[in-house]
Order: sequence, then structure tokens, then C-alpha cells
Amino acid sequence: MATSTTAVPLEEAVTRRSEGQWAIVFRRFRRHRLAMFCIGILALLLLLSAATPLIAPYERDQPNLTGRFLTPLGVDADGGFHLLGTDHLGRDYATRLLYASRVSLGTAFIATLISSTIGILLGMLAGYFGGWVDTIISRTLEIVATLPTLLLLLILASILVQNINAVPLPSWGASLLAFIFAVSEREARIIFAVILVLAFFGWTGTARLMRGMVLSVRENVYIESARALGASNMRILFRHVFPNALPPMIVDFTLGVNGTLVAESALSFLGFGIQDPTPTWGNMLSYAQSYMFQHPWMPLIPAMPILIASIAINYIGDGLRDALDPRQRG
Amino acid sequence: MAGYLARRFLQMLLVALVAAICSYGMLYLVPGGPIDQLLAEQQNTGQNRITEDDIRRVRERFELDIYLPFRFTRWLIGWPAGPLPGGIGADWQVGCSIPGQVRLRYPDGRVEVVEEGCEVPVTLADLEGRKVSRGIVFGDFGMSQVMLRGRPVTDLIMTRLPYTLYLMGASILLSILIAIPIGVYSAVRQYSRFDYVMTTVAFIGASLPSFVFGIFAILLFSVLAKNAGLPYLPPGDAVGVRDYTIPWIGTVQAGSFLDRFLRFLMPCGVLTFINIAGWSRFVRGSMLEVLSLDYVRTARAKGVAERVVILKHALRNSLIPFVTLLAGILVSLFSGALITETVFNWPGIGRLFIDALSRNDYNVVMALLIINIVLLLIGILIVDILYTVVDPRIRLT
Repeated sequence: MATSTTAVPLEEAVTRRSEGQWAIVFRRFRRHRLAMFCIGILALLLLLSAATPLIAPYERDQPNLTGRFLTPLGVDADGGFHLLGTDHLGRDYATRLLYASRVSLGTAFIATLISSTIGILLGMLAGYFGGWVDTIISRTLEIVATLPTLLLLLILASILVQNINAVPLPSWGASLLAFIFAVSEREARIIFAVILVLAFFGWTGTARLMRGMVLSVRENVYIESARALGASNMRILFRHVFPNALPPMIVDFTLGVNGTLVAESALSFLGFGIQDPTPTWGNMLSYAQSYMFQHPWMPLIPAMPILIASIAINYIGDGLRDALDPRQRG
Repeated sequence: MAGYLARRFLQMLLVALVAAICSYGMLYLVPGGPIDQLLAEQQNTGQNRITEDDIRRVRERFELDIYLPFRFTRWLIGWPAGPLPGGIGADWQVGCSIPGQVRLRYPDGRVEVVEEGCEVPVTLADLEGRKVSRGIVFGDFGMSQVMLRGRPVTDLIMTRLPYTLYLMGASILLSILIAIPIGVYSAVRQYSRFDYVMTTVAFIGASLPSFVFGIFAILLFSVLAKNAGLPYLPPGDAVGVRDYTIPWIGTVQAGSFLDRFLRFLMPCGVLTFINIAGWSRFVRGSMLEVLSLDYVRTARAKGVAERVVILKHALRNSLIPFVTLLAGILVSLFSGALITETVFNWPGIGRLFIDALSRNDYNVVMALLIINIVLLLIGILIVDILYTVVDPRIRLT
């Protein structure tokens, strides 16, 4: 009886691969039900915006002066069905909302990608090399952090959007952005200006976080061993420091996307960001506000995606934090 | 301490100067800035062809004929405004009224006119008698160019400041009064149902943009309530223009106290909600930290009543980190809430900034930006000093 209890054959026990780091993270993340649900919602939003030109029922800017302010599920004089109704110019609200998702989400992702890259690189330099590199970067950070961000954001956006020709964007870049956002090249230039402004103010938090992470990671013994084995600075930075400092950066990126999304909507809402006829959730809401007394449903339609995307991204960030760094739970 | 303060003060001046230079550069040197725009405007609206005299006048009006360093110092401290004392340097050149033009003829036949040298120089003596501000350092932010043409920017700010002060003051006070009890209760009853609800509310409150809140508030309390025949709140402005009737309350006279109060409720409510969402979490966090400390356990072990432990031993110490928020509070008292004021059409400083920016009234924009930066710097300094007062363990060196 005692001899028959071997559960796992020895061979199998040895060859079974241990679970990788990312598999563990994913397993932990899956436990966060709300975050999983939010991933689904965000994926749906991204899918819809990716498929916008295919599924949009109408032309984006096609006005219809006889069919203005149609309520959701309304039918215009020509028998056209409007799922979410029409706006003050009779443009199909559902179509514009789809294009707006593409612009708003795309802008937020690209701007955060740029600012995170800048922040991570600068934070890595400052934390790893220390000395005067650190002094310069940290002092710059401190100064930028004392500036009133929203005011400068508005001023820069206002100046840049007024002279989009001053924005340095090669024509292939304009075409690329025009393709990504499904807009004309002129509109792409304005979007690029807004992306630049948003990215310019977003990197400071990331840089500070990355600097702190690198400061702690570089004290590890494996860094010392790598150096003892003759690894170059670049190799240590990108092979050893970067991967180990990455987890909080992923959370920071997720929350950064939300921050940028909200900032972009605020800019467009206040009239200094992306301008009509390019739809964004923010500027659609701003127009809806002027008509909300006669048409109370109007502001709800662009406000809902802002609400949903923002809460979803935040919950995903929360879930990622729990999954990536269980000690930080709080 | 004195040494620290002196060093910090110098640092502050340096940052302020850098900020001033950057904002000056941003607003006055960027192509398409106010000068280019006004020039373009002048050219578009002028019926006659622009003469050289016109150009000179415009250049003089916007001080384009003075070299950049001098233009900047005139803007910053109102100097130089004329020759040095004793008439020294009356003929020193500080600018150029009409630049010299050189025709370049390229071998391929192209002709290009290039500005080079100076035909009519501007000297220090020429600056005498020209209008000059006392300099922003001395609180003279120049004249408004668009919104109230020819009136000092300070006038414009002063007419808006009271609205911002009372809106922000009231909402900050309310937020503190509500957020602290909520934070304390959440911490004491950690993981209770109340705590979970507050956590969710705070999470949503912190992740949502304030304009969405504002619009939802208007939709709910103005539009839907009015349509349903319930008492509703007027959706915008600080003072009404016309009398209106509200069910159950009756006719509200425009400009009366009731009118002002009703219009004040919604923006104040939205701001307060947003503040509470953030601050109650802050209080909860620091309260939890303090509650786990040894001296709190000692107090409990000695049989001190739980009420006293929480309110006297724990709360007072848990509010110390709250002091760090004061810098932001000080600034927001002046600069208001940009977005909320815009949503509710509240005639405060935040709204002024948006209006000035959208109408390209750059002197107003500059003034607000610089006052904001300076206030923030002062606020940070005050927080540092206050910290040593409330927590004597901290020494500034």
C-alpha cells in the first residue's frame, strides 16, 4: 500500500515547465473579474473604432438640414434610419461617434505612447547614470512639475492649432496619421499638434517613477554580476534594468492613457483641441451642451463613451497593479 | 532654517524667471503670435495700401522695433524707458525702426530682398515718452488688447476675482468639512459596506472629467427637473438677467440673493464632489497609517475611550500630510476651476482665462499664467514651512 502512492512520475515532474512570469501575471489578472470585464469593453470600443470606415452607416460630415436633431432611432425625411439620431446639422450621430472614438482613443494611445517613451528613457538615464545627467533631468522635472499644466496645455494647443503649418510633420507622417485616424491630412495635422502638446506634458510623472525604479533595480546583485561579466551599459540598461523596472510602467501607461483621454476631451470640449468637423467625444459634447435644453438626449451620447472608456481603463489599471505587484495593494 | 529659506527663495526667483522667459517666448515669439495676427488683421482690414509709415507705427506699437532683450526687460521691469540718469547713453542704439534692405541678385536671375543692417535706428532717447508698463514684476500686466480694449489687465482680473474667490472658497470649505469625516469613518470601519461604497464613488469621481459631471448635473437638476415640473436650478451664470419662476419656490427676482444662491449651488456642488472624491481617500489613507501606530495601541490599552483615541490621538496626526494639499488649494482659490467655470458660465478667473485665450488677448493670458506660477511657488514654500510647524520632527536644512 505504501508503495503505490507515487503521484507524479519522476520524469514528468522534472520536465514540467515552471510557469513564466507573464503567465502568473495573467492568471492573477484574470481573477480580477471587473478588470476582465473592462478589458472586454475596451476591446469592443477599439474594435468598433478600428472598423469605423466599414461599419459607419453614413458619410461623416454629410449634413441634412431637414433631419436635424432627430432623436435616437429616428427616421429622416428620406427614410434614412439613424440609430443614435442626428446632430444640429443633421449629421448622423452614430457615424460621428464612431469616428470620434477612433480619434479620441487613437490620440490618447499615441500621445501616451510618446510621453511614456520619453519618460522611460529620461528616467532610465537619470536613475542609471546619476551625476550631472540626473541633476539636469531631475531639475527640469521639478520645474515642469511646478508649472500649471492645464493652462500651458491650453495655451500651447491654442497656438499650435492656429498655425498648424508650424507643426513639424513630414507629409508621409501626415498621410500615416490620416490613415490611422481615417481623416484628411489637414485634420491629421491638427490631431498631431494636439498629440504633441499632450505628450509634452505627460512624461514627467513617468520619468520620476522610472527613475525611482531604476535606482532600486540597479542595486540588485544581478546587475553587479552582469557588469562583472563585462556587459556594456546599454546591454545592462535594456536587458536587465528595463525588464525589471517595467511592471509599474505598464500600470503607469494604462492610467496615463486615461489621463490623456480626459485631457484631450477637455481640450476639445473647451474649443482648443481638435476642432469640428473632425469629431471627438469632447467637441461633440461641447456642441451638445448648447442644445441640451431642447434636446436632453444629445449630451448623453458623447458623454457615455467618455465615462465608459475612462472607468474601464482605470479599472484595468487597477487590475494590472494587483496582478503585477501584489505588495502594492491598498 | 533661515539659510534654507534664503536658498529656497532664490531658487523660487530663478524658477519664476525661467517661467517668465519661457512664457514670454511662447506667447510673443511663436509665429502666429499676437503680433503676427494683429499685423495680418491690420493688413486685411486696411483699405489703403500699407505705407512704410504704417509699418513703422505698428512696429512701434508692439515694440517690434526694439531689440528682443530690451523688449523683454521693458515687459519684465519697465526698463529702459529712456536714457540713463544724467543723459548717458541717449544715442545708444536699442532697436531699429526701419531695417535696411539689400537686394540679392542670384546668378540664375532670381532677386531676393533680405533685411540687413538698419536704416533708422532707435536709441534710448527715442524711448523717452513712449508708453511703457511699470513691468510685470511690479504688478503691471499691461493693457487688455481685445476683451476690454485699452483697460488695464488688472481691472479685468479684479472684476472676476470675487466670483472665483467665493465659489472656490465655499467649495473648498465644504469639501474639507465633508471629506474629513468620510475619510475618518472609512478608515475606522475599513472594508465595511460604507467604505466600499465610498471607495467606488471616489474611484469614479477621480477618473471622470469634471465637464462630464457638470453636464450631467445640468441635465439632471436643470433640464430634466424643469421638464418634469419639479423645482429646478438655473444652469449657468452667477447672476440672472430676467426674473423666473420655479415650482414650489415661486418667482425669483434676477439679482436677488436667492437668485445668486440658486445659481451658485450647482457649480459649487460639482467642485465639492470632485474634491471630496480625492480628499476623502487621502484622509482615509493617512488615518489608516496612523491607526496602526504603536501610540494609538498604547492609548487604547490604557483604556482611553475609542472616540478620544480617534478624534484626538489619531485624527490630529493623520491630518499632517493634508497640509501638502494647501499649495494647490491656494492656487485654486485664485485661478478657479477652469473647466467647471466654463461649463456653468461662471464669470470667474478660470472663465476669464478661457475667454482671453480664445480671443487671443495675450496680455490677459500672460498675466494669469504668471500669477498662477508665482502663487504655486509661494504655496509650495508655505507648505514646506507649515510642515515644520505641524511636525516638529521635520527640520529644514
